[in-house]
Order: sequence, then structure tokens, then C-alpha cells
Amino acid sequence: MVEATVTRRWTYWGLFLGLSALIIFVKLLPIQPGPGRIPGPDVLTLFALAWIVRRPDYVPVLLVATVFLMADILFMRPPGLWTALVILGLEFLRARSVNMRENSFLGEWLTVAGVIAAMTFANAVVLTIFIVDQPGLGQALIRMISTILVYPIVVALAARGFGLKKIAPGEVDQLGHKR
Amino acid sequence: MARQSGSSEEFARPIRRLLVGGLILLLFAIFMLWRIDSPRAERFRAALVDAIVPQMDWALVPVTKTAELIEGVQSYARLQQQNQDLRRELQQMKAWKEAALQLEQENAKLLDLNKVRLDPALTVVTGQVLADSGSPFRQSVLLNVGAARDGIKDGWAVTDGLGLVGRISGVGKNSSRVLLLTDSASRVPVTIQPSGQSAMLAGDNSALPVLDFIEVFEEVRPGDRVVSSGDGGVFPAGLLVGSVVLARDGRLRLRLSADYGRLEFLRVLRAQPKDRIDGSTDLIGPLLPGAEAALSEDAEEAADG
Repeated sequence: MVEATVTRRWTYWGLFLGLSALIIFVKLLPIQPGPGRIPGPDVLTLFALAWIVRRPDYVPVLLVATVFLMADILFMRPPGLWTALVILGLEFLRARSVNMRENSFLGEWLTVAGVIAAMTFANAVVLTIFIVDQPGLGQALIRMISTILVYPIVVALAARGFGLKKIAPGEVDQLGHKR
Repeated sequence: MARQSGSSEEFARPIRRLLVGGLILLLFAIFMLWRIDSPRAERFRAALVDAIVPQMDWALVPVTKTAELIEGVQSYARLQQQNQDLRRELQQMKAWKEAALQLEQENAKLLDLNKVRLDPALTVVTGQVLADSGSPFRQSVLLNVGAARDGIKDGWAVTDGLGLVGRISGVGKNSSRVLLLTDSASRVPVTIQPSGQSAMLAGDNSALPVLDFIEVFEEVRPGDRVVSSGDGGVFPAGLLVGSVVLARDGRLRLRLSADYGRLEFLRVLRAQPKDRIDGSTDLIGPLLPGAEAALSEDAEEAADG
């Protein structure tokens, strides 16, 4: 019984790693290089946020740190900064994931939107303080808004595609422990 | 974290908090390190990208090709229209080709008459685009040519045959990164033809980079050709970059000649190291007594040797 739970957890960790690698790979494809497009959503971040609200135990901190640091390096972002902000955001949600079980989806969406906005602004503020070259505020805002709007799609994918559901209040695991 | 009844959790929680705090500090330290010693960090990044991305070559290229194929099928519907456009364009091109041939002959004759010495022809290395930057705020692509086999160096100009695309910025063993002209870190000195005004081409993450520092605005018209000026030894002079347009925000911007929609094969121009002129102007004007003595000594030594 215990083995089943542990195996399941390892499976989901592997799934998280595999999906992250896939997202990074797709982003690197030179399908439409060059500028002029509307900056799309940050799928990798969304995907981590959607998972942590559903099943915090499937998104361990060290795994997230590794994946996002890799993404920072490959995507030519300042290494470490966005990773640190993502971990702060995820820990904030992790601490609240128990309370968020009872919330409606709308409440969850608002909370996550707040976290994304906070991360975006913190990123801009830190980059400004350290005088790092950064894109215009307008573009960063468009990216933030598109990220927030795509959140339900990522959640639907996580729930339908990978069977990640919120733990219902009062649910017990196979050993009868409260989760 | 599954909450289990028992005391292990009570101990685990503060330790976990400490670990997460340490991790965040470590990440900020990495960011600070990158900020303080950027060149070294970027070299490390280039080495890491060089180790990872060419490994994915086998997958990157077919997937990209498939995506392009789908795009191609979509444009199939407009085949008739495109065909007509192409025919018309071809006709114009033929006329231009004729004109170009005549001009080339005339030019060769004139150069011969003047005994003009031209720059040695630039040699090129052609590379295939492996990956782009993956972020909407960084405009760069990764080529599959690098320092080991092809001797690519930082700063070399990259074109796609139609016009300037960017410059090499970051070289790995088997890959090199091209910073596109549209990146917000890109600055290239250019000359606007035919007025000969020099300007600075500054990328700003939009499709049309800005022309900065133009001295006399009245002499620049939309439609003027823009070529690289070669100032500061950044690029070879005379590479076509694009044409001037007046943007909606009232600034003069540049429509790039390079086809940024389909960057597939790019040419890296091997820049020849130029002779530097370091000597002062001591041969102009009467020689100072000290300099004269030194010169005559030199002459004596030369006679001895």
C-alpha cells in the first residue's frame, strides 16, 4: 500500500520532469524566429502553478528549482532570478493549498492571478534595481495577462489529461490517514 | 506534502523552511554572480547550451520542417495568386538583372581605369538555425557552426543572403548564438543612402528597429536604402541592411531586408583583421632636432645591418 503511494509519487515527478522538458523543447523550436509577435503565455510557470494547487506533493521544490534554472539558462534569461520568484510563488500557494481545496475555481484563478502578477512585478523591480536591460512594461504586461488567461486551459489539461484533482475535504489515503 | 499524524512532521517543517530559504538565497546568489561577472557567466551559459541543444538536433530539425510543411500546405490555397505575383516579380527582376550586368561591366571598367584596390572578398561559413531563444523578449537564434570546426569568432556579421541579420554573440564548440538586429541589446552603425547620413540602428524588440542619432532629418526619406557603415570596426562596410520607413509613432525606423520570417540557413562573414594605423604624423612638417638624430641613427643601423 505504502509502495503504491510512493510509486505513484515518483511517476508524477517523472511526468513533471518530462512535460517540462517537452515545453522547453517546443519553445526552442525555431518555427517563427524574429520579433513582432504578441508575447505568449509562460506555459512552464503556469504548469507548475496548476500542479501545486492540485497536488503539492507532486511538485517537490528541488525538482522545480532544477527545471526552472535550466529554463533560465536555455532561454537567455538572467539565471536564477525567475527561478527564485517561481519558488517563492509556489511556496506561497503550497502553504495555502489546504485552504484552497474548498474554494471555487474562480477563487483559485484569482489567487493564482495575484501570484503571477506579484512575480512579474517583483521580476521587473529587481531587474530595474540591478540595471538589467529589460523589455518594455507594455510587453511584460501583455505576457502577464495572456499567462493569466491561459490558466484554465492548463488546469483542464492537468485534470483531464493527467488525472490531477484537488484532494476533496475529508478524503483519506489507502492507509486511512487524513491527507 | 501529505500530512500524517505523528511528530515527524513537526520536526520536518522548520527544516524544510530553512532548506527552501537557503535555496532561494542560492538562486539570488547565482543571479548576483551573473550580474557582477556577466562575461564569465555568459561563457558558461554558451558552453551549457552548446552541450545540450546540438544533442537535440535530430529532433529539432524534423519537427521544425514538419511545422513549416503544414504552413506550406496552408499557403497552397493561395497558389494561383502567388504564382501571378511571382511571375510579375520575375519580370521586374529580369529587367533589374540586365541593368545590374551593364552597371557591373561599367563599374569594372571604371575601377580598372582608376586602379582601385578593393577589399579582399569576404569568405563565408553557412550554418543552419537550430533553435531560437525561446523567450519573447530575447531575439537570437542558435546556429550549428561553432569555434571548433569552423573557427567562428564573436562579433562576426551574419546575413541571410538578402540582408544583414545580426552578429555572433556567444560561441560554443559546435554552436554559436546570433544576436538579431531586433534585440534590444543590438546597436549597429549604419549609413543611409543616398544622403550619406550616418545613424545608429537600435533594436527594440519590435519588427522595425529604430534609426537613432540622425543628424539632418530633412535629408532622410522613407524608402532610402540603409547599409552598414563599418564605423568602429563592428561590421564590414556596405552590407545591405534595409530601407527607411516612417513609423506610426513618428520615428524613423528600418524595414529589414533580411527575411526574418524564415531564418533557416545563415551566412557568417569571416571578418579579416584590419591593419591598424597607429603611427603619428611625424613625417608632416619640419623634424624636431631630437627626432632627426634618432632617424639618422636608425639609418646608420640599417646601413650596418
